[in-house]
Amino acid sequence: MERESLLIATLVELADNLVDDFDVIDVLTVLSLRCVEAVDVDAAGVMLASPDGELQFVASSSESMTVLELFQIQTNEGPCVDCFRDGLAITNHALSEADGRWPLFTPRALAQGFRAVHSLPMRLRGRTIGALNLFRTHQGTLSDDDVIVAQGLADVATIAILQHRSALDAGTLNAQLINALNSRVIIEQAKGMIRQSTGSDMDAAFNRLRAHARNHNEGLTDLAMRLVNKSIEANGLDEWTKPKVS
Amino acid sequence: MERRDRESANGFALCAVAAEFMALDGAGIVMISDDDDFTSLCTSNNAAGALMDLEIALGEGPAVDASRGGANEDTNLLGESGSNWETYRPEAVALGARAVFGFPVRLGAIRFGALSLFRSTPGPLNTEQDSDAYLMASVIGRAILATQAGGSHESLVGELDGSSLLDFRVHQASGMLAVQGSMSVKDALVVLRAHAFGVGCRLSELADRVVSGSTRLDPESRAWVDGVENGIDGE
Repeated sequence: MERESLLIATLVELADNLVDDFDVIDVLTVLSLRCVEAVDVDAAGVMLASPDGELQFVASSSESMTVLELFQIQTNEGPCVDCFRDGLAITNHALSEADGRWPLFTPRALAQGFRAVHSLPMRLRGRTIGALNLFRTHQGTLSDDDVIVAQGLADVATIAILQHRSALDAGTLNAQLINALNSRVIIEQAKGMIRQSTGSDMDAAFNRLRAHARNHNEGLTDLAMRLVNKSIEANGLDEWTKPKVS
Repeated sequence: MERRDRESANGFALCAVAAEFMALDGAGIVMISDDDDFTSLCTSNNAAGALMDLEIALGEGPAVDASRGGANEDTNLLGESGSNWETYRPEAVALGARAVFGFPVRLGAIRFGALSLFRSTPGPLNTEQDSDAYLMASVIGRAILATQAGGSHESLVGELDGSSLLDFRVHQASGMLAVQGSMSVKDALVVLRAHAFGVGCRLSELADRVVSGSTRLDPESRAWVDGVENGIDGE
């Protein structure tokens, strides 16, 4: 698909999702997936800050352990941390062995095959609430257009966090952030249960959860909560089949 | 009853610190059971204790709401007309409270209870107090978990400093153990934490081994077993 039509399709999809009682993790996952399609990157993900300023992973284009690990490290150091702290975008940062800027993050990212990283701030009325992280497996630079598109998607992600567009006081924002972060924990708990019950890997466990939620028009977090509370069995979830690469 | 005393002592300190830290007039911690029963873990002073008793007796109020649903978006002010807490409101005002706040103490789907705060003057929390309350609720959750896992005082301090509960593998491992040991995710997390204490390794490291399948619970005895289990491939 042409990038322009892809972007339009993404915005329409997100707008559809944002109308009523949407699941914030699901929306941010869609956004990360579309980021990989629309911008010249290989993985994308969102980290949000808790009210006391700790960054935590909430959504990604890939649920593989190797990618999640790169977000986990960034609770301590990495491009997201710097981007969040300074409120400034980091673009086209080439990773290299000699780079001492992120001594924990860089070697792991290189080991996973990534060669360049970008991090774009999620800002709201002067407050940075998180960062959109982009990873590339090949060297080279993102074009200015790519950066603009990615920042646009980061802005959409910011809007998604707010959910209720009317009350925007600090207390409401804190509650939304805390709820989003807690949703992610519920999903991880559910993924563990699915993995143990079905023998799937974590990536497939997440996709199965998401597929069932979508098929039954249920919120991803709500479904994960029901699973943890044992009102639905992991084996009772709809099967997920890996889509063929077109 | 030594353990009970220790829980209360830790709890009291947390409540007193919470109230002072946020410059409020009182704080309490309510625990919720799997059967939706409420018990008071501690309160910072007599006034907070009376409010907590009232809330538990009536089964309504800010901490009850926060414990049940994580409904923490509003600071509900006494004296404003509202349809919620019809019985609790006037009684709480009679006890001297003018503003009450509830913040859920939870970890994903695990509900521990809530942090309850009150003030004898009306008005919402300011931004800083609001952020601090979330931070306190998070600290309280970790403290309750560490205490239930039978940690020493020293390990509790380490727990409060550490960020292992932000590690996704810990929550994945809890989910896996819940299935292995046919227990709740909450109990699984306590078991995981207790084992990490017991063998002296970091929670994240143990979680990593559970997720990769190199350590697991025996479904019958619930004893820890090392070795790769059939059917679950390491990632």
